[in-house]
Amino acid sequence: MNVDHPSMNQIEIEHLNKNYGSLQVLHDISLDIPIGAFVALVGPSGCGKSTLLRTIAGLETITSGTIKVAGEVVNDKAPRERDLAMVFQSYALYPHMTVEQNMSYSLRLRRRPKAEIDQRVGEAAKILGLEKLLKRRPKQLSGGQRQRVAMGRAIVRNPKVFLFDEPLSNLDAALRVQMRSEIRKLHKNLGATSVYVTHDQIEAMTMADLIVVLHDGRIEQIGKPLDLYRRPANRFVAGFIGSPAMNFVPAEITADGRAIALGAGALLKIPRAQEPGRKVLAGLRPEHLRLDGSGERLAATVDIVEGTGSMTFIEAKVGSELVNIAYAGTYETEAGAPLTLGIASEDIYLFDPETGRAL
Amino acid sequence: MLQSGFAKYLRDGKGFEGTLIVAAVLYLLVFAAFPLIYTVVMSFQEVDMFTLGTLVRPFAGLQNYTDLFHRPEFAPIVWNTVIFVTLSIAFQLTIGFALALFFLQDFPGSTYVRGLFLAGWILPALVVGAVWRWIFAGDFGVLNYALQSLGLIDGQIYWLSDPAYALYSVIIANIWLGIPFNMILLSVGLAGIPGDVYEAAEMDGANVFQRFLTITLPMMGPTLGAVIALGVIFTLQQFDLVAALTQGGPANASNVAQYWSWQMSFQTYEISGGATVATMMIALVIVVAVIYVRSVQREQSF
Amino acid sequence: MKRYLLLALALLFAAIYLFPVYWMYATALKTSGSIFKYPPELWPSEPLVQVSRVFAEHDIGRYLWNSLLVASGITAITMLLGTGAAYALANARGTKANIALFLVIVLQVLPPSLMVTPLFVAFNHVGLLDYPRTAVVLATAAKTLAFYIVLCRATFTQVPRELKDAALVDGNSHLGAFFLIILPLARNGILITSVLVFLQSFGEYVYSRSFIATRELQTATVNLATYLSANSADWVGLMNYAGIYVAPILIVFILLQRQIVTGLTSGALK
Repeated sequence: MNVDHPSMNQIEIEHLNKNYGSLQVLHDISLDIPIGAFVALVGPSGCGKSTLLRTIAGLETITSGTIKVAGEVVNDKAPRERDLAMVFQSYALYPHMTVEQNMSYSLRLRRRPKAEIDQRVGEAAKILGLEKLLKRRPKQLSGGQRQRVAMGRAIVRNPKVFLFDEPLSNLDAALRVQMRSEIRKLHKNLGATSVYVTHDQIEAMTMADLIVVLHDGRIEQIGKPLDLYRRPANRFVAGFIGSPAMNFVPAEITADGRAIALGAGALLKIPRAQEPGRKVLAGLRPEHLRLDGSGERLAATVDIVEGTGSMTFIEAKVGSELVNIAYAGTYETEAGAPLTLGIASEDIYLFDPETGRAL
Repeated sequence: MLQSGFAKYLRDGKGFEGTLIVAAVLYLLVFAAFPLIYTVVMSFQEVDMFTLGTLVRPFAGLQNYTDLFHRPEFAPIVWNTVIFVTLSIAFQLTIGFALALFFLQDFPGSTYVRGLFLAGWILPALVVGAVWRWIFAGDFGVLNYALQSLGLIDGQIYWLSDPAYALYSVIIANIWLGIPFNMILLSVGLAGIPGDVYEAAEMDGANVFQRFLTITLPMMGPTLGAVIALGVIFTLQQFDLVAALTQGGPANASNVAQYWSWQMSFQTYEISGGATVATMMIALVIVVAVIYVRSVQREQSF
Repeated sequence: MKRYLLLALALLFAAIYLFPVYWMYATALKTSGSIFKYPPELWPSEPLVQVSRVFAEHDIGRYLWNSLLVASGITAITMLLGTGAAYALANARGTKANIALFLVIVLQVLPPSLMVTPLFVAFNHVGLLDYPRTAVVLATAAKTLAFYIVLCRATFTQVPRELKDAALVDGNSHLGAFFLIILPLARNGILITSVLVFLQSFGEYVYSRSFIATRELQTATVNLATYLSANSADWVGLMNYAGIYVAPILIVFILLQRQIVTGLTSGALK
């Protein structure tokens, strides 16, 4: 990311800390969000991602640090002075207003001329397909329609930044996939900077230009989706990004430093030489484990098989460790059957067992 | 837009909600907490008509308390208060619970008819007392007539002037006042028990009676605790009924502490005595209130 | 069939319970001679409407007016101070808010007949007893305020928190979000609670009895009580007085019965 040109960044967060009483929920967060970027804040629940979003919005005060929007420090600015629009998880539509009134509310507060309001609401309604629903109340809408109104309320403002707080988590699976691509398309058309909070790493991977992985109030890693997948900075990110999750198996570097010894007696070549004799955690992605035994080999025994037709998920034992394998296609086997697994040397990740850092 | 820092704090900061709370709390401190403390102070002072106008009054130590304990009417009034509270709550709760269970059944108009009972709750207690006084009338009262017709009594009972009955008359009227409140609160508690729990118990072979004992009662525990605590609080507030029915008489036969305290302050002008009774009663009420708040918290985590 | 049997039983229970109210109005319609019949007439044999006579004779209008003034004052102070506090307490978290809420609940339960002694002495000091109706309003409002805050807080907790956040992001100040978004949504609960406060204050007795010495300024409760102890045989007059007094309360109750029940049940235990 380019930090040499501050003018390129819509939002800059420096050394942000946030405490609730004695409990610190955000630790020294520093993050630059370039103009026009779609950034996902992702992490398990309780990691502080929503709190971070709310501090950007101005809905939460910060304990220390600075937040800049368009180069200007906004620490002490009220939400209404920050020119940000937000889409809430529960949509937070005003139940006593029609769709039209909901969408025009912020413009009416800013005393925009009536003609301008009508025009902007009309445009947003057209983009979102809400023209026929303008006179309805939120109660009379389906979940998907409410979601669109919430989006519309943000769009009409034409804000510097869109903030999304898990906007799709109340929708059913099919609608979620559809809305995902619609939001993505909208972002492409409007070009406004977007910060998107989600606990769903697939949502983050498919939608974002840039992903910020948070855990226990700290940033674990910032990067492009595939970079996070290919080069996780630590064990947490490696386990969080990718589905099914990466397997971690205890191992030891051999005396020549060029391979690892797994508990089960297998020896696997590793991409870069490591300190001989060192204890490590080997990270093996389920989709990288091949059933034809090509590449680095390790022996396993089938424990559980689950087939969905297009995919087969096998839980197998390598020595005393359980390992998940994801196989694209149908593979017939049964519990107790022996397997010879293979993996390409460059697909083996190594982590420090204490610090979790990638080696 | 120019605004001072404070105005901005009020509009946009924590100041807005803080100010709202502080305003109300200040009012309560001045008109409720201060009198509360003042009562306690006066219970340790010599307060009579002569020292009423001054702030500095002679310190009396525990004299007011020992005087009070040595009064001949002290023990009977304390005992009356205990009976008043215990019987009122026992019957309000039982009748209220029975009605709540009855109205839990599914029949047309159940909510509406149940609501009719609340009429008893919103009527001014003093007016209710006046009506009951007429019902209780010895020679022409409708209660005596009803009891005679049912063959329960032979002669007339002089409910309000007979020392043996006066207290129970006040209790009966107070039970009448308290039934709706108990019923509504218990209805809410009953509605909160999920139906599938009963279905599960039925599958396990529990009959109606067993379901009540093993499911309804235990699950209503926190609600019952809260309702009983509120009952004690409201019963100790009951003043208007006593004033309308018996004024504590005859000869303190139906007098209760909260009425006695007022009588001392406003009728016999023994203000220290009134303050002393008030102090002890308020201490009791606050203990009950703490129990109430705690049982409500328990209920919310239920 | 069983369901209608239950309804009949329910109506029977309600009839027994509400008998005192019926008896009040039945007596009010009797002649002063027929009330001393024994056995009593369950239905007045020669009903006589004497409302206007009793109303004029006892100058009831004056005392009802005093009650109305006092109740309006109490309700106004309660709503003014209570609504915002209830809202803020519904949002607030943490120790300070818990203390404030606890204070409110505890101060709500103090019996007026015990609080009246110190209030009387204190009001006497500052000269408030020269304005006895104001004194009653100020004292009673402390009681109703706590009750109102507890009930209204329950109403406000039902308004989703994110609505306030949305309003702030949309361009409201805290002040604006409260008035434009939150208040309209909590309107029904607030109104019903205010009606309950009004009805309660309309029947207030202890403070009025203790603070108001001038007969002309008495509220209807105090006047009725005086009448009750002075003319305890004039049951026709008394029941007419009582009937007139509670008629507006009963009318409001019948009109708003459903809302009052929901209002009470939603907030009563919280």
